[in-house]
Amino acid sequence: MPDIRNFCIIAHIDHGKSTLADRLIQRCGGVDKRDFRDQILDSMDIERERGITIKSNTITLSYTAGDGRDYELNLIDTPGHVDFSHEVRRSLMSCEGALLLIDASQGVEAQTVANLYLALEYDLEIIPVINKIDLPAADVERVREEIDADLGLDPFEAVLCSAKLGTGVDDLLEAIVRRLPPPGGDPQAPLSALIFDAEYDPYRGVVLMCRVQDGAVEPGQRVHFMHTDKEHLVEEVGLLRLKHVPRERLTAGEVGYVIAGVKTIQDIDIGDTITDAARPAAAPLPGYKEAKPVVFSSIYPMATDDYEDLAAALDKLALNDAALTYEKDSSSALGFGFRCGFLGLLHLDVVQERLQRHFGLDLLLSAPSVRYRVTLETGEVVEVDNPALYPDPSAIDHVEEPYIKASVMMPERYIGVVMELVRERRGVDTTFHYLAVGRVELVSQLPLAEVLFDFYDRLKTVTQGYGSFDYELLDQRPSDLVKVDILVNGEPVDALAQLVHRDKARPRALHYCERLAETIPRQQFKIAVQGAIGGQIIARTTIHAYRKDVTAKCYGGDITRKRKLLEKQKEGKKRMKVVGTVEIPQEAFVAVLKTEKS
Amino acid sequence: MAQAGAVARPGLYVHVPFCSAICPYCDFSVLPGDPARKGRFVADLIAEARLWEGAWDEPFDTLYLGGGTPSSLAPEQLARILEALRHYLPIAASCRLSMEANPEDVDAAAVAAWRALGVHTLSLGVQSFDAAALRFLGRRHTPAQSRRSVELAREAGFPVVSLDLIYALPGQSQEDWRRQLAAALELAPPHLSCYELTIHQGTPFGFRVARGALSPAPEGARAALFHLTHDVLADRGLAAYEVSSFAAAPEFRSRHNAKYWRHVPYLGLGPSAHSFDGSRRWWNERKLGPWQQRVARGERPVAGSESLHPTDLALEALFLGFRTTDGVDLAAIRQRWGLDLAAANGDTIAALAADGLLRRAGTWLVPTAAGLAVADSLAARFEMTSPPGRASMMPA
Repeated sequence: MPDIRNFCIIAHIDHGKSTLADRLIQRCGGVDKRDFRDQILDSMDIERERGITIKSNTITLSYTAGDGRDYELNLIDTPGHVDFSHEVRRSLMSCEGALLLIDASQGVEAQTVANLYLALEYDLEIIPVINKIDLPAADVERVREEIDADLGLDPFEAVLCSAKLGTGVDDLLEAIVRRLPPPGGDPQAPLSALIFDAEYDPYRGVVLMCRVQDGAVEPGQRVHFMHTDKEHLVEEVGLLRLKHVPRERLTAGEVGYVIAGVKTIQDIDIGDTITDAARPAAAPLPGYKEAKPVVFSSIYPMATDDYEDLAAALDKLALNDAALTYEKDSSSALGFGFRCGFLGLLHLDVVQERLQRHFGLDLLLSAPSVRYRVTLETGEVVEVDNPALYPDPSAIDHVEEPYIKASVMMPERYIGVVMELVRERRGVDTTFHYLAVGRVELVSQLPLAEVLFDFYDRLKTVTQGYGSFDYELLDQRPSDLVKVDILVNGEPVDALAQLVHRDKARPRALHYCERLAETIPRQQFKIAVQGAIGGQIIARTTIHAYRKDVTAKCYGGDITRKRKLLEKQKEGKKRMKVVGTVEIPQEAFVAVLKTEKS
Repeated sequence: MAQAGAVARPGLYVHVPFCSAICPYCDFSVLPGDPARKGRFVADLIAEARLWEGAWDEPFDTLYLGGGTPSSLAPEQLARILEALRHYLPIAASCRLSMEANPEDVDAAAVAAWRALGVHTLSLGVQSFDAAALRFLGRRHTPAQSRRSVELAREAGFPVVSLDLIYALPGQSQEDWRRQLAAALELAPPHLSCYELTIHQGTPFGFRVARGALSPAPEGARAALFHLTHDVLADRGLAAYEVSSFAAAPEFRSRHNAKYWRHVPYLGLGPSAHSFDGSRRWWNERKLGPWQQRVARGERPVAGSESLHPTDLALEALFLGFRTTDGVDLAAIRQRWGLDLAAANGDTIAALAADGLLRRAGTWLVPTAAGLAVADSLAARFEMTSPPGRASMMPA
């Protein structure tokens, strides 16, 4: 039985996590050179393109250390984005140690700090790793200083490496086996295994990724899922090499996969504990937390005929994405669609891109919204994330909205502009403190809704790319919320309605009106585009009627060509969405709604 | 409708594809003609007419020589063409003959010859009375030649002399266009055609626009010039009867063009000419070469055709009708093609009337001046219903 080390790599986006993982896999002979693609763990196109990990992957590596002993190293990959912190948590729970990766030129970023705190919460042993030491801009001394000042870790324990060139990888592997503790756990105790991830296999059903805490799991065993309270028969267990390698059993301390006849991801909860049905553990493993969507948007197919395809695509996506929620929705302007819930804006982006890229769907997404808690005059409390379902204001006693604690790290010189941005976004209790020389962390409490609307882009702009941002959900706080309707010639366009803070209503409405005025083609009559709260108009633009389109000549009896042009025009009209008497091309919706995110 | 009888007989069109130079805005089938080419064209046109011998029963009561430049053919050539047409095709004794001419081709001998051939309406391609504008448009004549050609035509005794003008040149001011109209009105023409400059893809102007070297007049300016034209000419007794056509009295209106607007059959001869027999439309080979080859093989040089469904015809009737000040008779559409557009478009018609684009006069929909200016998209607002014949086949 080889010695085991379970560890993960935590890092800020783009600090080289995937490249380091690749190098470790390569060094341990996990992949033939022939099969090697860069960033092998990031198997999805979108992850590859953006250089971020969304869905975690796990791999078992075989390593013979300097002391001559064979080790089984379980590299539990973690998603690198704040939207997926619940997944990060589960991954961390399966580890004894973590490599905290820091870019030698960028230094410590907000996410580095957030991830460190998470890792410490789970009592992990931390090995700081300074990566990209080959870069001309690398400043190892400064990063060491930041590790000391910002993170409170011993800077001289940091391993220096260049994952790109492979420099320092051997030192790192030795540090993993020498400095990280082996897993504890009692092989004789009743089985308890944490499900930290799952993937759907069309042939095998759901494949569960598990960390066995105590006991052992083996084929033929009847197991009990403690949170969902379901029983299954184990069909196969094994190690997560690049391919699944079946084993006789997985025992305490090991990480691997379990196939147990689970049909869909919806049938299980990630974070659940598997135990033996006949000899159950006394209590489930701690740390289970439901992944709750916090951002909501309605997704409509551009072509109404694609609705069935969209439904099928969402069903398929949900097989591998337990956090995605969706239910039928309909708009009089855009037809049938789905109201979807996401963990954050990136999650929304990822789902949208998968639907478009893998399923070839042309989509329209309504403005993202958070979920508001509305207390009615009657004392009844309702949760509303869809403007269409917002209660009549006269029936509302008060409304609360989710707040986040945001942490922004940046060079000192940007503190002014960032404070201004945070103030604009209704930030309260803003404090900042100096980290290492010239670096500041700003902490503020602000409404999540304010972050949905191009906050990250604006932050990157005002800090010229040097600002980094992370957040965690805090609580619900009272909000002066209004529903803004967009009216086209007096008719509300339901897909454009939104819930916003009263102070933001006018600028947001004007932004929408102007966008529509730019993109709705002029028609034979004047079109008023208005933003309104209830009956009160708060913004207005006008699209003037066009006055001249008739062609001068209809010559020589060539009427066919003219009719065909007209038929094309009529065909184009059919694809337009009609609101009252006004025809609105889909491009107008796209143009208006696109500015919401990005 | 008053003109219904007048337009009921078919019309005959002859396309003469030659021009001494090609105007940079022109997208018609034209090419420079040398004497040999013109001679062969006349022979081929006569051969084409012969291919239609016996195919049309109803006599033609309009004959329109267009192009291109019919005036670029010698009077003897025109005479041979007319003689052949009368020989092979049924031409009514009352047939009204119209002909296009460029001012530079007009002299006393020419107008006398054309008049002798029986030309009733002489349509002169004046385009502008401004020398710079004429150069911009690639025209080969001067304002003086234009005036002279009009005088010569009047002296020759054509019952109708019409002037073609072009407006909305890039950068053209309202004042400038007023001056052009005034110059035309000084010549007291019974008929005027005022065309907005339309820049087509594939023409020299089209390429210049694509390159960014030429900017078409903006819509607002074009709309203003359109309405200015209609207002000024109405004031001076030349009321519009179509988007681009103005006549001092109903008898000066183009009888031939009205056939296109009212779905009266017409036969077109020559390259690119279109024909219509009441339910089918076909068109000739666009280029001279293929047209000649087909005729030489003894075939009708038809390049394509289409059968028109009642809904096609009704849609055409709408967009063509809305180009005319008479408008569209929904009762006639119902009677001819069985489509009850009034029933299917009640709300649309009410909305268009409320927006001041149409007014209702009995079963007629008559465009207002504002409606005439957007006639292209008026028709697009209408739903085309299926003939009730289909519905009546359903079990009661």
